[in-house]
This record gives sequence, structure tokens and C-alpha cells, in this order.
Amino acid sequence: MSINKNTILCYRSYCLNVSQSFRRCGSNLRSEIGGKFGTSVQSYFVFLKWLLMFNVFSFLVNFGFITIPQLVYDFSPNVPNTTSFRGLEILTGAGYFNYTVMYYGSYSNETLEGAVDYKMQLGYFFTIAVYMVLCGIALIFSMASSFKANYVLADTTSGGAWQLLCSWDFSMTNERAVRQRKNNLRESLSEKAQRKQLTSSEKLRHFGIYLGAWLLSSSLTVGCGASIFFLCRYEQLTLLVPFMVSLMNMVVPLFFSLFNKFEHYSSQRRQIYVLVARNVLLRMCILGVLCYYWMNVVATEYSCWESVVGQALYRLVFVDFIFLLLGSFFGEFLSNVVGTRLLPRLGIPEFDVARNVLEIIYAQTLAWIGIYFSPLLPAIQILKFFILFYIKKVSLMQNCQPPRRTGRAAQMKTIFTALLFFPFFLGALAIVGYTAWSLTPSKHCGPFRGLDSTFSVVEVWMVQLNSTGGSEVVIFVYQNVIRSEIFYFLITIIILVIVYIFWQVSQGRKQLIVLLRQQIVNEGKDKSFLLEKLQNLQKSQPNIRSKNHKKVGIPSLLARFS
Amino acid sequence: MGNKQTIFTDEQLDAYQDCTFFTRKEILRLHGRYHELAPHLVPMDYTNDPDCKVPLSLIVNMPELSENPFRNRIVESFSEDGAGNLSFNEFVDMFSVLSETAPRELKAIYAFKIYDYNVDNYLCKEDLEKVLNKLTKEELTPEEVELVCEKTIEEADLDGDNKLSYGDFENMISRAPDFLSTFHIRI
Repeated sequence: MSINKNTILCYRSYCLNVSQSFRRCGSNLRSEIGGKFGTSVQSYFVFLKWLLMFNVFSFLVNFGFITIPQLVYDFSPNVPNTTSFRGLEILTGAGYFNYTVMYYGSYSNETLEGAVDYKMQLGYFFTIAVYMVLCGIALIFSMASSFKANYVLADTTSGGAWQLLCSWDFSMTNERAVRQRKNNLRESLSEKAQRKQLTSSEKLRHFGIYLGAWLLSSSLTVGCGASIFFLCRYEQLTLLVPFMVSLMNMVVPLFFSLFNKFEHYSSQRRQIYVLVARNVLLRMCILGVLCYYWMNVVATEYSCWESVVGQALYRLVFVDFIFLLLGSFFGEFLSNVVGTRLLPRLGIPEFDVARNVLEIIYAQTLAWIGIYFSPLLPAIQILKFFILFYIKKVSLMQNCQPPRRTGRAAQMKTIFTALLFFPFFLGALAIVGYTAWSLTPSKHCGPFRGLDSTFSVVEVWMVQLNSTGGSEVVIFVYQNVIRSEIFYFLITIIILVIVYIFWQVSQGRKQLIVLLRQQIVNEGKDKSFLLEKLQNLQKSQPNIRSKNHKKVGIPSLLARFS
Repeated sequence: MGNKQTIFTDEQLDAYQDCTFFTRKEILRLHGRYHELAPHLVPMDYTNDPDCKVPLSLIVNMPELSENPFRNRIVESFSEDGAGNLSFNEFVDMFSVLSETAPRELKAIYAFKIYDYNVDNYLCKEDLEKVLNKLTKEELTPEEVELVCEKTIEEADLDGDNKLSYGDFENMISRAPDFLSTFHIRI
């Protein structure tokens, strides 16, 4: 009996410890990383955790609504006798995996009989559509809320006043970090104090260098895109394309950083923005070329093309993961070794937040594109982000020093979310939408076989509902809202009108701010004028003041003004 | 949880919870930290409100404050006597204002007090020069210091009296969204 009680107590205290440590995990993040490296590095890890949540949700939804019905219906994958599981499949995603529920091709297109009639086609379509819409809404809300909280009038954060009074991070407790920050602040302030006007020839030279750098980076980008398109032909070397893509994503940004060093920028922020813009363009170009190849060549040449695209995406995700780990190794560990032992001039590397954030945004985009073609890809993504989180954390602690620039973390969160949403999420949505709308699903596999386009699933369903006398509301909504053009036209007009009204209100408020500022200055002048007059009055009539018993007049006036 | 502690009465803990941004556990933990600063000075039993103050020199050696360039001013602005000797109430108050959950207005008031070295309710040029020297380890030339302070006053001074009143300071803080997270000490 006593053994049972002890084990129960032991178990309870163990559970308590585990739950406490999970709760402390979040606060550990902030105290360990935020205290030592500052809020901008911490924002990277918070962002990674947030993206992980997207994938967890996606996996649960896909597994629950798509995979489980399929597994219940047909448990064993219909693998032909020639293929068996060899370990290589984890790397290439083809072979044995091709016939499992990993990819689009293994899902049936029938109505699965069972406890309830589950229309697999509708299930697949609506799960993916609803997930994408929910993702979009979550991103928009997050962007809007962080923009609202962190909107700053353009110049204040680069001004001297802000740097002097608001920029010091009180939570830094590490002596080296504090020393570093003081040095950087000193450098930045003395730079500002010494800034001189540039002559026009210097300005022309800077502009020429800037233009040249842009031309070089654009041509590099286009060259990468063209070479990827050319290499796509070599399908038999299955890992060649992912390898080259990841290699380019790793090496070309180094060139961009090199160009950056030669250019002159008026402010630190512009430099980072230009660098980020170039990196984004590179990745989007490569992704665009790949998608073009898949949509136009693979979709017409292969019989079960969605599974082929799914496999290609799986390989991209996997090789990208390996390269991220390698990048962490080279970028942080080796740089640390080189910086401390071989070339002490270089010093300890910093944790490059912008580059790392861009990498995880790109990884997430691959997952978003891949959801349609491979419903279980989020599972791989979850593992990837999970492992990446811990590797990066360890690497950060061991190898890196706190970043030099006083990072404006609040603005960075807005920028990260905006970057995630605008080019990358919308691009992924566009690709999936284009696939669903225009491309013919493959005829012999997958849930949409035999239809003209994926979207016609809804039409077929509507016809069915109509003929069997189903829900009138749904049919009405479909015919008059979704299919009618007048509805979208009206919505667009209403939204434009609302935007115009808000814009006018904000213009009016800007003018009001200018007026109020002027009023404050005038009040200040009034105050000093009146105080002077008061003092003159007191000096000229000292007798009356001594007889004044009522405490109402002068002292309260003085109190009111100071 | 059934923790029977004898340091504070329940009413005291409730009062602390109401007046600060800490929970009961955090207040007990803070008391532990306060006690270990001066174990011979600080009694373990606070039920009858003992009147003891820990001197400035011991408080600024806490790991959370030891690297902060403004540590002396922080402790002074929370002490009643202005010399930096904190009673436990003032100690809790200090970390409560500097905690994550304190509102922006409260933090702005105390930030202003911290930067106001000559305690005249204005941030005049001398105050700003002292702040700058603390932040840059006094390695800027006097001309640069002068320039930066002049620019600061120019940017932030709204009513044109060549020094920053609390209103000017608050206006500048309201345009800095990071302030809440930078003006924060974790304990």
C-alpha cells in the first residue's frame, strides 16, 4: 500500500515539475536569450515558435480530416510488389513513400461509406481551403495588431533624442554585452555628430555604385533562376535541383552582403532593408522558376503529377533542413573558431537575425505550397522547426555575441510578419489557387481524378445538392453570391470608399497635430511672458504683497504655472 | 499549495499584491533576495513592519543592477530619503515599476526621475550630459557631447524653454514602442 502512495506522490510531483518547466520554457526564453542577447534575437526565437504553431495546426487538421478517413477506408497502402522500403526514401521522398498517404496520389476520390458518408473530394478541397484562409486571417490580424502597437513616425527612432533617452536596454545584465552596447552607442553618436554634407560628385559616385550593385544582384538572381530551370530537366538526379537551390540560397546572399559593404547608405535601416529586399527577390525568383516548371512542364508530362510535385517539395524541404544545419555550423561555429583563434581581428560572430528569419520564412513557404500536394508535409516541418530551434539556441549560446546595432525589436516583429505575409504567403496561396483553378488534375490518381479542375468539385456538389433537393440556403449562396460578379464589384466599391474615408480622417489628424504643436509653443511663450510680468509686479509693489493674507492670488498662480 | 510562511501576514501579502504588479510567490521571493543582501540587517519576520533599510552600496551590487549605468540613480529615485537606502516596500516598488506588467505611464514617470540628476523636475542640458556620459563611458569629446545634447533638446522640446519637462519626455516616449520592453529589469 505504501509503495502505491509513494509512487502516486512521486508521479504527481514529477508531473508538476514537467508542467512548471514547460511554463518556464517560455519565460526561460525571455530571460536566457533576451537578457543576454537583447530583444531582437529573442524575437527570432519567438517568431520560430509562432510558425511552429501554424504547422502543428495544419498537421492536426490535415491528419484529422484527410488522412484518417483515408486510413480508415483503406488501411494498407497499395504498393506494387517491386518496391520495398529502403532507408533512402527518407531523403528522396520517392519510392515506397510514393504509395503511402504522404502524397496526393494515394487519396481516393469516392464517398467513403462508414459511420457517416464522407465525401473525400469535398473533404480534401475544403480542408486545404479553410486552412489557407485561416492562416491568412491569422497573419492579417497579427500584422495589424503589431502595426497598431508599434507604428512610429518615421524619423524618431533614428533621432539622437531617442537614442539617448529611450534606447538603453535596462534588462541587459551581461557585462560584455553592456560594454559592447556602450561602444556601439558611442560610435553611432559620434558618427552622427561628425556627419558632413556630401559634394555632388560624391553623391553621383554613391548613386553609381548603388545602381551597379542593384544591376549585379539582379543579374545574379536572374542567372540563378535560369540555371535552376535548366537543371530541372535532369530529373534522374533527384537530389540535384534541391541541392543547387539550397546552395544558391546560401551562397548568393553572401555576395549581396559583400556588395552592401561597398555601398554607402544614409541610414542603417535603409541598408538592412535593401539587403533584405535583395534576398527576398532571390528566393522568390528561384521559387517562381520552380513553380513555373512544375505547373507547366510536370503537370503536362507526368501521369500522377501532383505526387511528383509533392515529392519535389519534400526533397526541397529536407535538403533545406540539412543546409540550415550546415549553415548554422559554418556561420556560427566555424566563424567563432576562426574569429577567436585564427583571425582575432574578426572577433566573435553575431547572430544574424535578418538572415535567419528569412530562412525560416522561406522554409514555411515551401510547407505552405506543399500542403496541397502532400498533406502530411507539415509533420516533417514540425520536426524540422523543433530541431532547428534547439540547435540554433545552443549555437547562439556557445558561439555568438550580442548584436551590435540596438535592435528595434518591436518594428522588426512587424517587418517579419509583413514579409511573411506579403510576398511569401500570398505567393504560396497564388500557386495553390492557380493549381486548384486552372490545372487539370491527373486522371488516374488522387481525390480529384476525372474532373476538369479541382474547383469543379464544388460545382459537382452543387449539382448533386440541386438534384437531390438538398439545402436551399447553400445553393442560393453559391449561385447568387459566389458565382455572381455583381457581388464582388459591390464589395470592392464599398471597401474603396471606406479606405478613402479613413485616409481623409488621417490627413485631417495630421494637420491637427501640426496645429496643436504650434499651440503648445505659444502656450509656453505665454507662460514665460506672464511669469515675467508677475515678477516685475512683485518687484515694484513689495508692500502690498506682505499684507496679503489670502492665499488665493499669487502663490496659487505661481503653483499653476510651475 | 499549503505553503505556511511566517514572513508576512496574509493581510500584508494581499496589500502587496494589490499595490504592486507581483504575485504572492514573487513577493516572497523578493523578500528572500532582499534578505540575502544584508542578512544581519533584514529580519526574516516582517509581520510587525520593522523599519530597516538596506544601504545603497549593497543594492547596487545585485546582479540585476550591477552592470546598469544608471544603477545609482535608479535606487535613489525610489528611496524616500533620496540617498538610496531602500526599505523593503521601496525595494518591491522599484522592481514592480521595472517589471514587465507595469504600465507605460508609471514607467515614464520613473524614467524621468532617473534621468533628472539635479532633481528639479526638468531634464536640462546638464542632466542630459550626465546621462550621455554614463551611456558612453565618457569617451565622447566635449563638442560631441554638446552637439548631441543640443540636438536632443531641439528634437524633444515642445514648449521652447530649452529644457525637457515631463510632458516633452512623455511625448517622446509615446512615440517609442520599444520603451516598455527596454525599461524593464527582470528579477
